[in-house]
Amino acid sequence: MASFNLQVVTPDGLMFSGEAQSLTVRSVEGDVCILPNHINYLTALGMGEARITADGKTRRAACIGGMLSVQDNDVKLVPTTFEWSDEIDADRAERARAEAEDKLAQRDKLSDHELAVAEAKLKRALVRKSVAQGR
Amino acid sequence: MAGVSMKEIKLRIRSMESTKQITKAMEMVAASKLRRAQENVARSRPYFETLYDTVCRIAESSAGLSSPYLEAREVKRSCWVVIAGDRGLAGGYNHNVLKLAEARMAGRNVTVVPVGKKAVESFRAHGFDILTDAYFEAGDVSVSDCFTLARDLCGRYTAGEFDEIHIVYTGFVSILVQEPTVMDALPLHGTGVVGTRSSSETIYEPDSEALFNTVVPEYLGGLIYGALCECIASEQGARRTAMDSATKNAEEMIGDLSLRYNRARQGAITQEITEIVAGSTSS
Repeated sequence: MASFNLQVVTPDGLMFSGEAQSLTVRSVEGDVCILPNHINYLTALGMGEARITADGKTRRAACIGGMLSVQDNDVKLVPTTFEWSDEIDADRAERARAEAEDKLAQRDKLSDHELAVAEAKLKRALVRKSVAQGR
Repeated sequence: MAGVSMKEIKLRIRSMESTKQITKAMEMVAASKLRRAQENVARSRPYFETLYDTVCRIAESSAGLSSPYLEAREVKRSCWVVIAGDRGLAGGYNHNVLKLAEARMAGRNVTVVPVGKKAVESFRAHGFDILTDAYFEAGDVSVSDCFTLARDLCGRYTAGEFDEIHIVYTGFVSILVQEPTVMDALPLHGTGVVGTRSSSETIYEPDSEALFNTVVPEYLGGLIYGALCECIASEQGARRTAMDSATKNAEEMIGDLSLRYNRARQGAITQEITEIVAGSTSS
């Protein structure tokens, strides 16, 4: 079966390296799926779920920020955060969501910067929760 | 006479010993911190390198694309992110990186973003134009701080406030070797290897300009974070080496002083005996 070389690297280390058959990630424009022999491609990542199929098994992960580059069947996924679904602490994500929502409830008091931070936190928590629940 | 100098020597030995204890403790603390920092470097290095390679490759294969990040403009003002330590007693660590930074900045129009207490103090004392001193403690700077700083710098870069961005940091080569390094972060430039890349077309999504606007701040943030990890490991490495040699010096001095102390003691005893003998024969 055709495959491509995939590397997932984050500031916390190398999360995946090896042959994969398919990769689905959410870019800023929407979900994209990379299959073997994809044309050279470059995009910025949004916030969402990533699915990696290698050796017939599919693993899911929360993948946020960063970029995806495909060059000559060599795929590099460079996200800011990447967590496998079985490593996500669902309770912590739930707490983060509740906290962020509490904060956003009193949005008039927040500065633009604080508002942006709280919104980003909420989004991240929601992505984590949805990935964790789907497992 | 002999008694006074004996007392003096004893005092000096005691003070040397307490100094040795301190340097020994500092060495051990640095060694344990170094281990953690080293793991951090090992973890972040693939990210750092992949990010740099990928962006360089894009810059290389992007002939014809227009983005403020790609054009080399005439340099009117450049921005230097200089990362040094928070504390001294780390051998030449702070001095080397600051010296390199100042040598490279000499005669240019610069704005400095110092990271770490020593860098902030040094640039403030030399009257450099400082953009922000919010990063006073290098040890407290988090990943999100790096990305915030990067977004801010990118905003200023595209607005034309700076025409170049450089990062000066200390690369962690090994426990014993740390190398002060200057990295040219912006404008983007290729790796210099021409013709090895496939010339086939690349799809950019969304369009190249919007893409660069999202990717470049991430890239710069990643670079700063990676440099910071290297710096923290380098600082601990330098401190460990410096403290190790300080401990060794203290040991050597204590040995030397003990020898002198024993000689003085012996001399005093001999003198006393001579005096007693002289006294008994004269009487």
